[in-house]
Amino acid sequence: MARSHEADGTDPAGPLGTALRILYARNIVPSAEEIKQRIETAIPGAHAEVEDYTGGGDHFRATVTAEAFEGRTRIEQHRLVYDVFGPEIGAAIHALALKTQTHAKIQTH
Amino acid sequence: MPSPSESLPMMSSQPAAAPAAQEESNPIRDAIAEAIGEHKVILFMKGTPEAPACGFSARTVAALQALDTPFAAVDVLPDPRIRQELSAISDWPTIPQLFVGGELLGGCDIVIEMYESGELAQALL
Repeated sequence: MARSHEADGTDPAGPLGTALRILYARNIVPSAEEIKQRIETAIPGAHAEVEDYTGGGDHFRATVTAEAFEGRTRIEQHRLVYDVFGPEIGAAIHALALKTQTHAKIQTH
Repeated sequence: MPSPSESLPMMSSQPAAAPAAQEESNPIRDAIAEAIGEHKVILFMKGTPEAPACGFSARTVAALQALDTPFAAVDVLPDPRIRQELSAISDWPTIPQLFVGGELLGGCDIVIEMYESGELAQALL
């Protein structure tokens, strides 16, 4: 006796599973890669490394290297990055831990 | 007829009669600005220093405590308007926020970075 629910399109995870998949499909929760690209697009010459450090898709850690930070205070540097995301910070992006620098730090040993 | 949101009491100490200049006054923002002006070191955080409700707030508290710094703390969680008005004043989207001498010093990342480099101890002198 063949079970039909997989064939007929019913989501085995139920309605909540379907709803979650739709949320992700709409990109309501940006990925680490998307965050990286948005930072690099918005801040000319910036290089960003972004990791989703809980794996939950809403806590990110970013190291951003940009000459645009030169001559700015840490507060101003972080504001430049936060401004890329506006109200998404604290909402879809629950946390964006930041480290900003003007030049990549060279490991000496 | 006032809409339901307008009829909510702003604060428990608010007089029952609505003042005419209500759109001008912003008691929460004024209270936050006053607190920032009155305390040399003040931390807006989630939870309390004894019971932080977020890892970022906990780390910031730990840095201040490691330096034996007396500081005032405000829990932003009881009313979402506190956070909203604070961010409007500081132009900073996240919590915690540490103010020293009336100026925003930073959030968790900056405070920890400054703690590790020794700059935080200097800033708090």
